[in-house]
Order: sequence, then structure tokens, then C-alpha cells
Amino acid sequence: MFEPDEELVGRVVRQLRRPVTVDANLDARVMEQIARLPARPAGGTTRATWHWLTRPRTVRLSPLSALAIAAVFVAVVLSRPDRLSHPASTGAREFSFVVVAPRAATVSLVGDFNDWDAARTPMQRAGKQASVWTAVLPLTPGRYRYAFLVDGVSWLADPAAPAARDDEFGTPSSVVTVGGS
Amino acid sequence: MGIHSVGTSDVDVVRRVLGGDTAAYATLVARYRDRLARYAVHMLGNREDAEEALQDAFVRAYRSLERCDDPARFGAWLYGILVNRCRTTGARAARRGRVFVRDEAALNGVAHASVAEQTEGEDVVRWALARLTPEYREAFLLKHVEDLEYEEMARVTGAGVSALKMRVKRAREQLQMILREAERV
Repeated sequence: MFEPDEELVGRVVRQLRRPVTVDANLDARVMEQIARLPARPAGGTTRATWHWLTRPRTVRLSPLSALAIAAVFVAVVLSRPDRLSHPASTGAREFSFVVVAPRAATVSLVGDFNDWDAARTPMQRAGKQASVWTAVLPLTPGRYRYAFLVDGVSWLADPAAPAARDDEFGTPSSVVTVGGS
Repeated sequence: MGIHSVGTSDVDVVRRVLGGDTAAYATLVARYRDRLARYAVHMLGNREDAEEALQDAFVRAYRSLERCDDPARFGAWLYGILVNRCRTTGARAARRGRVFVRDEAALNGVAHASVAEQTEGEDVVRWALARLTPEYREAFLLKHVEDLEYEEMARVTGAGVSALKMRVKRAREQLQMILREAERV
């Protein structure tokens, strides 16, 4: 592995690779500590699968790739007052968020309505190979800031909506205002 | 070589644990204990701190098992947790050291005394390793002792491949220099 002049380092490595012994009770201590934890809720595998499906993938993009995505990015927010998801008393209306991102592997809708949690509102492709991603969300009257998170790394404001001017996170975001009925 | 599992696959064991079979987790602890212990002991230079970091890593991994996106790579995921625990424990130990040894002259005196006393094999190696910065020591151990590929190291440490290659190179150069100096003492 090492050149002759690095034989010294080679000797170091051989020494460091020797087995190290630790307290024989370490395994038992770990398992005791785990036993004191609250029981793992049933359906763990299902939740793990759901987490795997919805987790934001981190894909490193070159500035050019990010630019390419941004260039084809067109988004519209369609109000759909005809589809009430909750009783009228809540005043909630369903909104369809639509974005075009042909190169994206995942897109999440994040905003004030889901605590900017990328796992809570993953967007779905409109078709198997489609470039269009959608998410439908019930919103009660109010003003919401939102953005799209592409591939878990690129924050994009909605070019079809007013930009938010009071974003404290330093990332682009847009505003949708839901009026009362 | 990377990180591999043997016997009953990690995937099976992780599934059992997630399904409620807590005892199955002991299989994973036994499987990875020795290798992770070696890294922690060399990284922290202190058996007590290493055991604390190791135990903490195993427990944290259990609590977050749902977040292990690819159970087939449980070992690499666990390595990442341990690397972080070692960073935290090492930083705390360093602060502790500074609290107790405030006199720079006294600190140097202690260091020189250690060199004189540690004339044989493993002690000298441990002493030399401890002279590296934590970043260099971490990269050197993961590459040359734990035999991880650079891509694997990047996932485990969060650092870029080129930065890691640079750290490993510098660590090797510094180790050679430190050990040559020690041989002359």
C-alpha cells in the first residue's frame, strides 16, 4: 500500500489495525439503555418505508444544472373553490400547486402551512414521465409564504406568484393569500 | 472495501427491530462493536471517552432507525453517527483539557515528558496520532485503518472527496515528520 519511503506510516497503520478491546459489558449497557426507551410504535416498517419514499433526496447540482431547472420552471397556483375538503365552517379551500421541473427527482411544497417541513407535502408527478408536479392542499383564509424544494437542495420561489419580501431564512419564497368565503 | 455486513443481513435485522423485536438489535451491536470501538479509541485517544461515544452512537442509531434510508448500508450509516459523536466528545474533551491545563509552559513540559516516556511502539503511535488535528486524524483513520473508499468517507463525514484526499495526504506527511522527530529523541 505504501511506497518504501512511507514505510513508517505503513507500520503505524499495521499497529492501528490491531483489535481494540472495550468493556465487555458495553453491549449489555446499550441494550439496557434501549430497553428503558419508550416502546417502538407498531408499524415501524411502514413508517420507515413512507419516510424512505418521502425523504428529500440530496442531489448536488452544478450551477448550470440549477440554472437549467430554473429556466424551465413555470408554476401556477390554481384556486379550486369548488372542491371543499372540509366542512364549510372551517373555511378551508383546496389549492392546487403546480410546477414544471423536468429534471427533478423529487419536489416538495414547503411553506407556513406545513412548518417548512419538506417531508410533509411531497409533490407528485402528473404522469409517469411528466415534467409537471402537483400538490393539493386545503388552506384556511390567511396569508402564506411558500416555496418549492427541488431534489432536497434547490429552493425556488413560484415565478407566477408575488415574491415574499419578509423571508427571514434568506431563501426565495412566494406568497399566496386565501380570502374568506 | 467499504463497509459490509456478514451473516444474517443487516436488512433482515433492521426489519426485525423496526417490527418491534428490540432484542434483535443486539446482533447489530455485536456485529459492529469491535470495528467501531477501534475507530473511537484511536480517534479520541481515551478508552473511557471512546466507550461513551460508542454507546451513545448505538443508542442514537436505535432511536433513529426509521431514518436509516438504506438498511443494507446500516454499517456506513452507523459510522456516520459515531463520527459525529466522536467529534462532539473530542471537542468536549479538548475543552476539558484546556480548563485543567491553563499554563502553556506546563502543558509543553508535560508533552515533552510524554515523548521521553513513550519510547515503544504503540505508545509512540498513539502519541503521534494525537498530535494530528481532529480532521486529519479522522480522515487518516477512516482511509487507512478502516479502509473506507473516499466516496464512503464523504458520506460519513460530510466533507468533499478532494478535501478528504488532501487531509489524508497531510496526515501522512505529518505522521512521518512527527515519528521521524520522535526517533531522533
